[in-house]
Amino acid sequence: MPVYKTRTAFEVARRIKVFLNLEAGAVRNGTPGEASSGGEQVEKLERALTEREREVAQLSAKLVAAENGAGGRAGNVNPENVIWMLGTARTGSTWLGDMMKGLPNHDLWHEPRVGEFFGFYAYERAAGRKTANFILGPQHREVWLRSMRNFVLDGAEARFPDLKASDYLVIKEPNGSIGAPLLMQSMPESRMVFLIRDPRDVAASALDAASEGGWLSQRMKKSARVRARVETATSQPNTLVANRARMYLQAVGKSRDAYEAHQGPKVLVRYEELRADTLNTMKRIYSELGIPMGERKLARVVNKHAWENIPEEKKGPGQFARKATPGGWREDLTSKQIKIVEEITAPLMKEFYPAG
Amino acid sequence: MRVAKKPGLNSGGFLLPVFRNRVAFEVARGIKAFLNLEAGVTRDGTPEAGPENIGASTGVRRLGWRLTGRGPAVDGSAAANGAQAGRVRPENMIWIFGSGRSGSTWLRSMMSDMERHRVWEEPMVGQLFGVFHKQAQEGQLKSANFILGEPTRKGWIKSIRNFVLDGAFYANPRIKPDDYLVIKEPNGSTGAPLLMQALPESRMILLVRDPRDVAASVLDGARKGSWLYERKDKGKWRENALADTNPEAVTRRRANMYMTQVGNARDAFNAHKGPKVLVRYEELRADTLATMKRIYSELGLPAGENELARVVEKHSWENIPEENKGEGKFYRKATPGGWREDLTPKQAGIVEKITAPLLEEFYPA
Repeated sequence: MPVYKTRTAFEVARRIKVFLNLEAGAVRNGTPGEASSGGEQVEKLERALTEREREVAQLSAKLVAAENGAGGRAGNVNPENVIWMLGTARTGSTWLGDMMKGLPNHDLWHEPRVGEFFGFYAYERAAGRKTANFILGPQHREVWLRSMRNFVLDGAEARFPDLKASDYLVIKEPNGSIGAPLLMQSMPESRMVFLIRDPRDVAASALDAASEGGWLSQRMKKSARVRARVETATSQPNTLVANRARMYLQAVGKSRDAYEAHQGPKVLVRYEELRADTLNTMKRIYSELGIPMGERKLARVVNKHAWENIPEEKKGPGQFARKATPGGWREDLTSKQIKIVEEITAPLMKEFYPAG
Repeated sequence: MRVAKKPGLNSGGFLLPVFRNRVAFEVARGIKAFLNLEAGVTRDGTPEAGPENIGASTGVRRLGWRLTGRGPAVDGSAAANGAQAGRVRPENMIWIFGSGRSGSTWLRSMMSDMERHRVWEEPMVGQLFGVFHKQAQEGQLKSANFILGEPTRKGWIKSIRNFVLDGAFYANPRIKPDDYLVIKEPNGSTGAPLLMQALPESRMILLVRDPRDVAASVLDGARKGSWLYERKDKGKWRENALADTNPEAVTRRRANMYMTQVGNARDAFNAHKGPKVLVRYEELRADTLATMKRIYSELGLPAGENELARVVEKHSWENIPEENKGEGKFYRKATPGGWREDLTPKQAGIVEKITAPLLEEFYPA
């Protein structure tokens, strides 16, 4: 008789037994239909066996995942101490990331885009593909989620070889938020910061950045994609605003889904409250993430990265640090653009900014 | 199979199945052996007799091997009894890259019927990794932060390897260490360079076909009512019906795709140090058996001529039922050079212009 290391292993074995419904011979109950010809019978059995094999493989994958758990690897990056920052771009993620990086035993992985990598493929390009052969097929979800987890952790360990298991790694991934549900499912013990901002301010910020001479066009002159965006911002600003609103709906929507499903430590942060009372919001973030952090340490990084401490020549229209004024969209967007954003992002506006 | 209550047949008083024929009995016994679980699933140990006794037909033998994990070694020299199901061996992976509509389904069908060959049908893992990498901006690729950034290439290439091997095993859970896994991945050829770098010991088939015939095949399949049109219903594919309303646009798109897929597959082929073979669809069509022999020879795979002849015959064009082939069908024409009848001069010109470097390399005439 096999001896199972864990209850999970035992349950998986038991489920295989139940599923296959085998006892003394090929079947436990009932009489199978009349045997068909040899060839047909073999084909039928092959098909049935293939299905059973896949079921067993799924159960095996669950078993392996359960037995490995967080202890399956001995790397220096502790998945429990990974803090994902998800939401969307232009929500203050750079600011929040800088403050967190400045805290003791913290490091920052700046936009690996791993969420975009897996998320865009799974939810957009290959959406609806469900065959068992497909590398991200639902039948082997546990397997590829584990592979994704390893992909992230391998990448983190390669980039942060000096990180200790007790250290925290903040992964700033607003532009990869389409993959938020997959990331959080693959690393359920990790911590999550869900950072949001009024979508009208996000659109206003994106429009300013992509305007001729704006920071985006200056920073990425070589990128055809950015050039196209700058061209759109100049010739069809309403189209750019609509595109940004759709992106918001997708990225923040996926982050919201991930946030709701995540069972590990998590916190929802609005840019507006971070801006209004940074220290208290930082205290809340660390409290809800279950990370002990002294108030003086928090006060130090809050002060260091305060808007007021950014040199004047580095902020203003066209700059990365632009306005930092919640509600600034009233001045920045036309009434038509406001309507576009409000219509596209209506479900999220209602949820997070019900006052309008 | 009937189930009869025969007191005394076993001491536990269970109903025992009575099998009408040997095949059914061996299959049931094989399932027991396959599971080999003691916690009540099977009562006895692994059956003594191997599946070689099951019967004469290949299908039955193969099924038996799948069930028991037993069978002849790849070279046929000795039985590999007791071989354990385990990970997929990278050196036993045979990747088929190139472009869609180049005979990859036909080739993989023949290969799948060879002993100890299994197929992983279009996992699209090459598309997953290849397209994201290809679309990354220059600045991203230079960044150490970017998940597929060049500074950490060595690390993520290893991650890709693990990703593929895990996926291959779980998609083919009963694969044995000595089995070959044919991975039909023409539509994932954009990622061929990454995959072959990640799995340098794997075998690779670069399957090419005249891009004008590829374009003609796609145009035919994408017309209203044809197989591709019916199969695809994503986005506005059907609504646009581009093959009918703007065939030049479909031709251009297909030619660009050919350049990306075959171009990347060619780059992977040139860089690959492991066993590899270049196959033109036209030669496979002209002399299938000789080409198959060359494929197996150049890949360093053992294959008897009788076995090759068997799979070639089984999957020959002539053996496809007439009602399954013809215009608008997946099996359409199989006539190299058919593009001269199928494409307009303008469409042929579009393909020739876009794919000029590859045409010159593979079809200089």
